[in-house]
Amino acid sequence: MKAQLRVAVACVSACLALAAGAQQPSPLDAVPEKMPNDIPYGTPISLERAQAAIAAAVGESKRRDWKLNVAVVDSGGRLVAFARMDGAQLGSIAISEHKARAAAMYRRETKAFETGVQAGNHYLLTLDDVIASRGGIPILDGGRLIGAIGCSGATGSQDEVVCRAGADAVKR
Amino acid sequence: MKTRPMLTLEDCRRISAAAEAEAKRNNWNVCIAILDDGGHLLHLARMDGASPANARIAVEKGRTAAESRRSSAVWEERIKAGRNSMLGMPGITPVQGGLPVIVEGICVGGVGVSGVQSHEDEQIAAAGIKVLG
Repeated sequence: MKAQLRVAVACVSACLALAAGAQQPSPLDAVPEKMPNDIPYGTPISLERAQAAIAAAVGESKRRDWKLNVAVVDSGGRLVAFARMDGAQLGSIAISEHKARAAAMYRRETKAFETGVQAGNHYLLTLDDVIASRGGIPILDGGRLIGAIGCSGATGSQDEVVCRAGADAVKR
Repeated sequence: MKTRPMLTLEDCRRISAAAEAEAKRNNWNVCIAILDDGGHLLHLARMDGASPANARIAVEKGRTAAESRRSSAVWEERIKAGRNSMLGMPGITPVQGGLPVIVEGICVGGVGVSGVQSHEDEQIAAAGIKVLG
């Protein structure tokens, strides 16, 4: 009986501690002066440039003997070019496009969502069409977002390396 | 065990480039999609001036051809002939412009094109597939 009482008391104390914790100010309550990711949308990426990004990404992937899916979307998040390397996994076809689309629609690398979720900001997963996995990068031209590239098929870190090679090849 | 031919990325690039050349020759802006025999996307190129809708439609026409092992125009013709029930076929986009890729008598995928008139879309898809010989 005594042991049970001790457990009950411990539970109540824990609940109170949690309630007290909830009253701490949330870092999400801060109101920064400037908004983040204030990047204007530019002219949609051309097919030629999208294919150059894919060629660079596929080249990087080949050098490392990785097999990935690579997608490039325009500033509206719609598919412009896509390539599946020989032996790349089927499940990653949609993921590569999703990463590219999310990078364009949210004007940030998809790694930002991954980092946020890892840090405990699970609310990020309730935002529309988010994918919390690195490997989606916006493509900028003169400070304007013209499209985005997404890679999938390996680990997130491997996807990101290939994705970066593609994005860097065509940014201006 | 049976073996079957399959499309490589290099094959897809050649098909897409040939299709794109056919479109350019005619001053057409289209989207060209290539899918494998399971209806999974292998390659896509949306030419400047082609719309997001063209991208989606090209993929679906190509998928129709790849999965049903016949031209999407065949489906369109059957419906035109009065088989309205074919409109309910799952996963079928019954509009001309999607062709199966047949190699050694085996369907290895499909090519779908969207952007101009349907018979012109099919002409582009055929020009792409022709490079395989």
